[in-house]
Amino acid sequence: MTHSGSSLPDLPNCTSTAAPMSEIRSPPPDRVLEIVLENVLHFLTCRRDRNAASLVCHSWYRAEALTRSDLFIGNCYAVSPHRATSRFRRVRSLTVKGKPRFADFDLLPLNWGAHFSPWGSALADAYPWLEKLHLKRMSLTDDDLNLIARSFPSFKELVLVCCEGFGIPGIAAVAANCRLLRVLDLVESVVEDADEDEEVMDWISCFPDGETHLESLVFECVECPVNFESLERLVARSPYLKKLRLNHYVSIPQLYRLMHRAPQLTHLGTGSFCASDDVAVGDQELDYSSAFAACKSLVCLSGFRDILPDYLPAIYPACANLTSLNLSYADVNADQLKPVILQCHKLQTLWVLDSICDEGLQAVAATCKDLRELRVFPGNTREEVEGPVSEVGLEVISQGCRKLQSILFFCQRMTNAAVIAMSKNCPDLVVFRLCIIGRYRPDPETHEPMDDGFGAIVMNCKKLTRLAVSGLLTDQAFRYIGMYGKLVRTLSVAFAGDSDQGLKYVLEGCPNLQKLEIRDSPFGDAALHSGLHHFYNMRFLWMSTCKLTRQGCQEIARALPHLALEVIDSQEDKADDHIEILYMYRSLDRPRNDAPKCVTILQ
Amino acid sequence: MEEMVMATLDLITASPHSSSSSSSSPTTDNNNNHPSSSSSSSSSSLCLSSISTRRTDLSTDLRLGLSLSPSHYSTPSREQRSSFDWPPVKSTLRCTLVEKSQISQFVKVYMEGIPIGRKLNLLAHHNYHALVKALANMFRTTILCPDSHQLPLISGNNVHVLTYEDQEGDWMMVGDVPWEMFLTSVKKLKITRADRC
Repeated sequence: MTHSGSSLPDLPNCTSTAAPMSEIRSPPPDRVLEIVLENVLHFLTCRRDRNAASLVCHSWYRAEALTRSDLFIGNCYAVSPHRATSRFRRVRSLTVKGKPRFADFDLLPLNWGAHFSPWGSALADAYPWLEKLHLKRMSLTDDDLNLIARSFPSFKELVLVCCEGFGIPGIAAVAANCRLLRVLDLVESVVEDADEDEEVMDWISCFPDGETHLESLVFECVECPVNFESLERLVARSPYLKKLRLNHYVSIPQLYRLMHRAPQLTHLGTGSFCASDDVAVGDQELDYSSAFAACKSLVCLSGFRDILPDYLPAIYPACANLTSLNLSYADVNADQLKPVILQCHKLQTLWVLDSICDEGLQAVAATCKDLRELRVFPGNTREEVEGPVSEVGLEVISQGCRKLQSILFFCQRMTNAAVIAMSKNCPDLVVFRLCIIGRYRPDPETHEPMDDGFGAIVMNCKKLTRLAVSGLLTDQAFRYIGMYGKLVRTLSVAFAGDSDQGLKYVLEGCPNLQKLEIRDSPFGDAALHSGLHHFYNMRFLWMSTCKLTRQGCQEIARALPHLALEVIDSQEDKADDHIEILYMYRSLDRPRNDAPKCVTILQ
Repeated sequence: MEEMVMATLDLITASPHSSSSSSSSPTTDNNNNHPSSSSSSSSSSLCLSSISTRRTDLSTDLRLGLSLSPSHYSTPSREQRSSFDWPPVKSTLRCTLVEKSQISQFVKVYMEGIPIGRKLNLLAHHNYHALVKALANMFRTTILCPDSHQLPLISGNNVHVLTYEDQEGDWMMVGDVPWEMFLTSVKKLKITRADRC
């Protein structure tokens, strides 16, 4: 795109009929504006702003592409690695997300995809200066990790969330070769076990000798023992280490030693939080609370993987400063929780097991006035009539924690009244995820469906962007969502609704919907069809065990050529045309060729 | 070991409905009082879960859920759902919780030649492979399973096989029946020397 010379201000050394000499000395007029633009665009960090800027005109598109250093790929199949690296030439930090969230609950076949390898080779070619890589739900092998370790000399951060396919050798390669590594975070990832007859490699000792640059080391999910002496030495030579999350092979006496080595820690995952088998209880009991007193900067505690509740009081010295506490692996009851929680006045994030009961939630509500995020996980996943937490706990939390923004709550019973109360008491709610474990369960007091409760949430919580529904729900609940859930971006539905109309309400009513995951609900082709106008705006749609047919999906595929419709079916010949799973997403490139046999991609 | 699991799996995938002994079917689609173990969803998703294992090692595709209670088996049908993928709790958390929760099925395990036995929670494992692996670790030995390809190789006294006592008091080889059926019939386990079987 060229600019007319007359519209430019008179710049020194710059005329429209420049002689070759002055051209060498100064850039041509249109290029000057681009350089100015690039300089300005450097300040734009938000990717949505950048996306908008890139649409202004070609020169803004180019300038933006050259200045984007943080690239976010929400779906690894939406765009090919080549297309991404061709457009954005100077990327330092890349985030790629792969499988849909329902893969976490084993609803997706193994080897479905999200292989990192094609991205790995493209990155090695295009971005030798790459510093950060953040992958979520991707499948990556030890070879991929080796490639990462050897291709990027400035590599600083590796964050793997819910990934799988790699093992200790891959981690060791990263530790050994990335000399500038600051962050190595392995979160909820499946790290392949070594075969029984192989020695487990001590990857901790693969970090180079001497002082490290490590700021964050997270390996809670690595299911194999670490060499403690190596770990202690590593911690001792990592003066910048702020985040350390240990796996459950680290015992509490070992934790004690590590904490004294690293009193500057801010985020700590405590490992097992119980004594190892070798040491008899009571044998030279250390004063564990001294370790927590020594780490004066602790704000986030997690771990407690095999906790002996007797040890919990050791964390008292840290409670007053804690903003985040994750006890979701700790089977503690209300009486064990109370003395801890009553000291946590600054707590903003709390993850717990429902073993704390409604009584424990009461204690939380009484003390944690600043609570922003609460997650209550089920200790028992059976469908029972009663459970340890209920509408009582939810209501109490809503009364005590008015600043609540995000809640995930598993329970066996819930009433509309409690949900309505929360919708009124907590107007700042952005994320509301309620999972009533009993499927199709109505309000136990009124025997009504849970429509009104969720309706109140979408009506009253004006900032709501993420919603997960459960319990007995009719189409009316979806009518509410379509009417009031104008900002909703992510919606999770399971065992809900009466008819196609339910899904139609949502697809027609929610303009900001980006991620829709539905399972076991009676929505069929007609319902899907009503979303044609919106599917290009969505990141993905997942529907499993609904009433979709292959024919219906084929029609969608024909109508929208840039949509990939993956039909996942385990049985070859079926009596009817109904499909098991539809996973649908927009894509700029040809359908992928790495899908397993059970996946058919419709065009 | 792998071959044994393969053989068992072939048996399972061939006839998805053969796994569980029938009993009272749970009332479906209505709120309360689902029996604890609502079994797998439609047969198609039985096969689906055969490919939806998280790890590369094999596991049975009939994961009828951790919330098992022996008297509540029923043949899978489309209405009934696996409690393994509902509620939506990640398997890492779920596995940890099984060990801590009251839902457990502890059985005694003896190894031949050792008078003091151990106890093991069968429900902490999802399949034969995991069970054998856990026992091999616990007792520090190699445990084989019956397999026609491997029998000629058995020699020496550090190789064992896994047997169990069933409800009728008979001692049987572990691995012949589907995992869930095994769980309902096992009373105790014994690790015996391979050359004795």
